[in-house]
Parts: sequence; structure tokens; C-alpha cells
Amino acid sequence: MRDAPLPVSILVFAALVALPFFAGDFWTGQMARYAVFGVFAMSLALLWGRAGILSFGHAMFFGIGGYAMATATLGTFDIVPFTAAWPSLLFAVAVAAFAALLVAAFLFWGAGVSGAYLAAVTLALSAILEQAVRGWYALGADNGLSGVPPLPLGDNPWNPRPTYFFLIGVAAVVYFGLVALLSSRVGTLLTALRTNPRRLAFLGYSVVALRIAVFTLGGAIAGFAGALFVATDAFASPSLIGFALSAEVLIWVALGGRSVLLAAFFAAILLRVVESYLSDALGPWWLLALGIVFMAAVATVPNGLLATPLRWVQKRFARRQGPQAS
Amino acid sequence: MEVLVAWAPLLLDALSFVLVLALVALGLVVIFGLLGVINLAHGELLMLGGYTVVVAMGWGAPFWLAVAIAPLVAGVVGAVVELVLIRRLAARPLDTILATWGLAIVLQQAVTLAFGPRSRSVVAPTDTSALVAGISYPAYRLQLMAVAAVVLVGTMTWLARSGAGLRARAAIADPAMAAALGVNVGLVRLQCFALGAALAGLAGALLAPIVSVDPHMGFGFLVPAFLAILVGGSATVAGVLGGAGVIGGADSLLGHWVSPVLAQIVVFVVAILAIRLRSGRTTRF
Repeated sequence: MRDAPLPVSILVFAALVALPFFAGDFWTGQMARYAVFGVFAMSLALLWGRAGILSFGHAMFFGIGGYAMATATLGTFDIVPFTAAWPSLLFAVAVAAFAALLVAAFLFWGAGVSGAYLAAVTLALSAILEQAVRGWYALGADNGLSGVPPLPLGDNPWNPRPTYFFLIGVAAVVYFGLVALLSSRVGTLLTALRTNPRRLAFLGYSVVALRIAVFTLGGAIAGFAGALFVATDAFASPSLIGFALSAEVLIWVALGGRSVLLAAFFAAILLRVVESYLSDALGPWWLLALGIVFMAAVATVPNGLLATPLRWVQKRFARRQGPQAS
Repeated sequence: MEVLVAWAPLLLDALSFVLVLALVALGLVVIFGLLGVINLAHGELLMLGGYTVVVAMGWGAPFWLAVAIAPLVAGVVGAVVELVLIRRLAARPLDTILATWGLAIVLQQAVTLAFGPRSRSVVAPTDTSALVAGISYPAYRLQLMAVAAVVLVGTMTWLARSGAGLRARAAIADPAMAAALGVNVGLVRLQCFALGAALAGLAGALLAPIVSVDPHMGFGFLVPAFLAILVGGSATVAGVLGGAGVIGGADSLLGHWVSPVLAQIVVFVVAILAIRLRSGRTTRF
């Protein structure tokens, strides 16, 4: 299964690169954060839409990456021998990947947990982690950790553009990297993992190893996004790790389109932009409207509000081009 | 005897929490165990029960009448939800998790808009105390335990022994065969969802005098109730009670001995381990 058509994805990233020349500094700074959420959404789309692993606690890796970045750069724990931004970023990705590996091994070993049980266990895991962080004084407990230094990009900390361009670049690298991975044999294996894991096992592949590998990759990317977010926002709070953000990212991915990475990425950005406009204008009605739209979309457009038209255009285009492998 | 006197209030508190949790869990069991639907809006149905009591008593209804109305309101809401939303997702059970999460947001926000975000309180029908095992204990909590226990046993007996319960179990185990034998599968699913919702509404109504009624009161019960049925299984009343006993009992007793936060973490960890060990077995009556 392919992702969005290449011209569409190039157009999306080109538009994002052009944005600071039209929008002011405030929106450039906001969009930088939203792009990071977009990367986070892509990591969930990889797990859920491509590999068929529905996690209700994906924010735990975003939060772990964020707290790892914050503690490393702030020098909270002496055992981490560096405080510079770049090694800390690598450290955060490694910690999140390791955590995802442990969780995946626990979840999928042997007969494994799947379906509703997987949703319940991942939900409970992120709830535990949030409770633990809220009670952990070295991590600032309920107050979180503030004053995380920004990424050393550009000389003027008040200019959001260098950070913005860097984060859009990161998003593009993650996106096109994942697309390349998914159009290789790995993509076929993940489709098989999602649609018929038993047959995959008959063919001699280890379903458990494949699930653990993709979950670790998804967790690492989520942790990477979390670390970037904390560095951009200068603040790591317990809300980054718990159920609320886990559910929010699910909403973004479900509304965008779980099986199209670009749709998940763009939906996260779009919903954040819409939210920042409408949550002021509509107040509590905004969440009500979001809930209704979400409910209706899950019931009637399960493939997502962005991905469904995209797939439709793709099909029309492919037909005009004659028969083509999809 | 003195030990008992010191311990009795704590144990009774734990028992009342366990029974209410079992009531919530039973509603989830009916919906999850029988329909295979993960209802993340279950806590919000409980919250609707609480608000029904607030509104009905505001109109001058006596407490126990308000408690009787609450499951009807929640049941009707449940039936509408099944007809409008859940029915469309019969072929995609995992998507019901998302849809009911959306429903939970909608119900929470609708109630916030209608009643405001602040919490309401409900006056218990009696503020007298009764003498239990040598100590005095609030009479209302004893009444709550009695009602919860009767409803629990009644519902489970009805599901296990009555003709309607048998049809429900048949329709869930093999919808095609049940339909061929003349069971109206659509109607059975509708009834099951409404019954599950009504049980949540009743739990919310019974809780109203002892907790604060606010738009977020349901969420705190959702996760423990889910863990209770995943730990205890839903095969028998003993399974539901056992699961609720482990989760609710550990939560309230550990919360007293150590700290509430640590208690929750311990309970969740135990539950996750139990689920991991039990996984693969399906939830069936």
C-alpha cells in the first residue's frame, strides 16, 4: 500500500516551508510545535494504520522522550554525562526506543495481547506512567520541568524561523524515510502483519519479532517528537505522558486517515490550527463539536477525512494511467 | 474485638467501593462480554445517572424515586447510542473504542454546557448511623451496599437463567445461528446495550450522595471497572465480584495504608500482569 502521491506530499512540505514568509513570528512558532505533533501522529499511524497495533497509550513514549530530553539538558541526573542539546536528543530517542522495546516485548511475547486487551493494557500503562511522573519529585512532580534550553539553532533566540525550518526538515526526513521503508519489503510485511498475521507465521516470519520491531520504531519516533517538543516549548509537563494526549493523537490520526502517514501528519497540524482559532471563538462548544465530528467520522468515514478523498483521487488517476500496481 | 472496631469502617468503605465498582463493571461486562463493544463512554453514562438525581431532586422528587429514574434515563440514552452509532460499527469492533471515546467527550461537554463545570452535591436520604459490628456506620452506605448487591445478583441470575438471558447469550455467541432460530439479534444487542447503560446510570445515582457530581466524575470509574473485568473475567457473578474486589479492595485499602497514588500504581501494575497472563482467553458467559 502506498502513501499519499508524491506530488501531494511535496506540495504539503513546500507549503510548510513557504509559510513563515506569509505568517508572522507568532504563528511560525506555533506551527513549529504543531509540526512536531504531526511527527508524533505519523508514528501512531505507522503502528495503527500500517501494522494494526492500536495503542491507547502512545503518548507514554512522547512523554518519555520529552522527559529524557529535559532531564539530560537540565542535568537533573548526574549519571547522564552531557547537557548539550544534540547528544541529549540522541539520548532521548534511545531512552524512548528502549522503553518501547520493553513494553513491546512485554505485550507481544508468546501469545501476546491484541485487540481490546491491547487497548486496555496500553491505556493502563500510560495512566500508571502519568501517576508515577506526577508523584516523582526529581521530575518536578505536578509542576513538570521548566527552563529546558532551546535547540542551538541561530543566534537570536527570539527568531522562531531557524527552529521552524529545522523541525519541518525533520518532519520531511521522517516522512520520506518512513515512506521509503514502507515501499520496501518491510511495507509488505506490515500489511501482512495487519491483515493476516497467521499466514505470515505460516510463511516462516516471526510475527512477534516484527511486532516488537515496528512498535520500537514507532516508540522511538514518538520519543524523538517528544524531545523536540520539550526543547521547542522549554517545558516538560506530566500532561505530555498520559491518557489525554494519547487519546488526542488517536483523534488526529483517525480523523486524518490511519493508513496514510501524510494524512495523519497534516491532520495533526490542521486540527491544532483549527483548535487555536475555534477554541477561543467557541469556548466549550469547540470540544463538543470535535467530539461529534470525531464520532461521525469514525462511523461513516473510517479511512479518515483527508485520506479518503486522497485515495479517491489516486484511484481516478491510476485508472487514467492504465492498470498499475497499487 | 478492639481490632475489629478499628478495622470495620475501613473494611466497610472498601466493601461499598467494591460493590459500586462491581455494578459499573457489570454494565461493562454486559456491553463488552456480550456485545464485544468497548464502551469508553461508560463513565459518562454513570455521570448521567448522577445528574439525573440532581435534576429530579431539584424538581422535588424524593431521593429513591430519583435513583429509580436514573437507570431509565441512562438506558434510553444507551438505546439511542446503540441505534445511531454502535449498530454501524458491528463489523469493526475496535472502532467502537474510538466512537465511544468521541461519545464520552460529547456527553462530558454537553453536561458541562448544560450544568456548568462546577460540582453539585446531593443530600443523602438519611444521615443517621447504624450499628454494625459494634461501630456506628452511615446508614446510607449500608443501603447503597444492599441495593448494589441485590441488583448485581438479580442481573446475573437473569442473564444466566432466564429465557431472555439465554437468547442474549445465543445472539452473541453465534449471531447467524441465533437469527436462524428466530432470535431478533438486532433487538437483543439493543437491549444489552441499554441494560449496560442503565446499570452505569444506577451506579452513578447511588454514588451521587457520597461523591461530588461533576462532568468528570465518570472517568475515575472507567479504568478500574475495565481492569476489574479484565482481571476477574466475566464468566460468572463471582468473576465480576472477584475482579472488582481485587481492584477496588486493593485500591481503597492500599490507599489508606500507603498513599492513594502508590495504591493506584500498584493496582494498575497487578491488573496489567493479570491481563497479560490471562490474554488469549476470550470473555464469555
